[in-house]
Amino acid sequence: MALQDVCGFHDTPAYPRWNTPALLSLPVGDTILHIQRGIGSSMYDFGKTSGNALELYVPVLDYLSQSPINFGQIASNTLPSHPPLFQSPTPLSPSCLPVSIPLLSSPVPPSPFVPLPFPLSHGTTTLAFAFQGGAIAAADTRSSCGGLVACPASHKVLPVHSHMVGTTSGTSADCALWKRILARECRLYQLRHRRRLTVGGSAKLLSHMLHPFKGTELCVAATLCGWDGEVEGGTEDKLAAEGTQDGGSANESGTSPAAAARVPAWAPGPRLCYVCSDGTLLKGGLFSVGSGSPYAYSVLDAGHRWELSVPEACSLAREAVFRATHRDAYSGNCVDLFHITARGWRRRAREDLKEEYYREKERERERVEERRRERGRVEERK
Amino acid sequence: MALSSVLRGECADFSGRSDRPFAFGCGLDRTELGFASEPGDGPSFAVKSALYPDTEEGPERKIEFLHGTTTLAFKFQHGVIVAVDSRATAGSYIASQTVKKVIEINPYLLGTMAGGAADCSFWERLLARQCRVYELRNKERISVAAASKLLANMVYQYKGMGLSMGTMVCGWDKRGPGLYYVDSEGNRVCGDLFAVGSGSMYAYGVVDSGLRHDLSVEEACDLGRRAIYQATYRDAYSGGVVNLYRVHSQGWERVSQDDVLKLHLQYREDRA
Repeated sequence: MALQDVCGFHDTPAYPRWNTPALLSLPVGDTILHIQRGIGSSMYDFGKTSGNALELYVPVLDYLSQSPINFGQIASNTLPSHPPLFQSPTPLSPSCLPVSIPLLSSPVPPSPFVPLPFPLSHGTTTLAFAFQGGAIAAADTRSSCGGLVACPASHKVLPVHSHMVGTTSGTSADCALWKRILARECRLYQLRHRRRLTVGGSAKLLSHMLHPFKGTELCVAATLCGWDGEVEGGTEDKLAAEGTQDGGSANESGTSPAAAARVPAWAPGPRLCYVCSDGTLLKGGLFSVGSGSPYAYSVLDAGHRWELSVPEACSLAREAVFRATHRDAYSGNCVDLFHITARGWRRRAREDLKEEYYREKERERERVEERRRERGRVEERK
Repeated sequence: MALSSVLRGECADFSGRSDRPFAFGCGLDRTELGFASEPGDGPSFAVKSALYPDTEEGPERKIEFLHGTTTLAFKFQHGVIVAVDSRATAGSYIASQTVKKVIEINPYLLGTMAGGAADCSFWERLLARQCRVYELRNKERISVAAASKLLANMVYQYKGMGLSMGTMVCGWDKRGPGLYYVDSEGNRVCGDLFAVGSGSMYAYGVVDSGLRHDLSVEEACDLGRRAIYQATYRDAYSGGVVNLYRVHSQGWERVSQDDVLKLHLQYREDRA
């Protein structure tokens, strides 16, 4: 890049902004690196390209602390400028700096008390999990714009092809667009190669498509959820048998992340992949994304087993979304449920959670009545 | 501590050492041991409103999650269940897995700790003293509402000065079970269910699903234990053991202390 040549900088960290030699206007994060260069070297050695190992940047730390993407809180809270800690360009010897300089110079995280459990942006609750009867994807239907509910009936679970859906979280415009692009690419692949792209493959494709936008304001966090089925040739039956055998022996291990391990990569079965516009690509058995996800996670963790039946799994997903909408202000209205099996995806009727809330109150009242009657009967018998 | 320099009159032993964070003798002299999971130099638990006024945007304020811990309390027909984890972190270092986060104010009042350990334990001990004085003066036990009001008023005077405390005052008085949430920002809220800390969101999901007024004692204890366990499963800043207390009409009792790993194995067995 031209800028690189100007700075005489040859090893390229990923992001152009790290190349600027203007020391005074450097974002504070960069000053970490100068200090780490060792005793005696002044800050002006920046331009030298000695191939020194100490010149290796740690872009991850800085990227995370300076990401323009508003991970963190839902309202925009990008701190406009970091307090400039280094006003004068005097060469600083490391000894006069407190040891904790990386922490002091990093911008204040959104909540000054505690770093969030994970970046909690995306005002939504979406979840997906795999079980013996396929995969379930569920999401609420509220689109919020700051404090306004912009749309109480939006679609957050979008089909990609006949055997795969994707839950979306982040900016809804970005998600809708990228889902359509992914659907188009999957269809092209299917036409060219005469087989469907696997969930892992489409996740990788989506991740690579989003990569050029890394560092921009694009915000997409999707869970691709589908059924991988077709295997070439007549080996399908044999592999299916092996798959169930492995599933049987893996039953003893019992924790939900092992669900993905139960279905070996070559066997047909439900698959889940989480793709995020910051580059994350994760495979697993259970995911929940969005501001309401902690509430959903605990309900899912408590109730999830590989051996769930289909109605149980649907009610678990519904309960998880319901709990999240109950506590999270940015999730609500209705819940969408999709069930994916070897035959494709099927959409359940959209259910209004307000009714669910009243139904639950009713159920609770009946249960209390029932228990009181039980106790009365037990008392009588005594 | 900021507290010591402010309270010069009340605590003669803190002799103006306001420049050094109170290190708890663990050698981490640049971090303050507490339940906050961010290292800071001494009293830097910045109260948002005071120190960062320009980042607030009115109704679009960020959701603020307090402190690396999970504490939970809920009311039911047989009293109040209080369940807490026991991990203390200093940044990403787990400083202790055996912290007592429930403070026994007096034989019928409990307080939970979230936030700075020093702030919580100090103020709740001060509250214990005030409650005892009330009892001696008025010849009857103090009510939960009054005790929580005392605490709220005490910390309100230091609002904006960097206190960090999110506590639940639980007890049983002549009005039945009482549960109040009090924090260093001046909030004092009465309610049936509270969860405080970074793992609180996980705990809320579980308790909301299972909470009914007519739970039996055993069921309520199981619910509290399960909620804390689920929070420790997902939240890195919570863990250790689950301490469970119950407050009933005769006072509080310590129900159980279970290691979360043991609970994990037990729940897995139950599922299979």
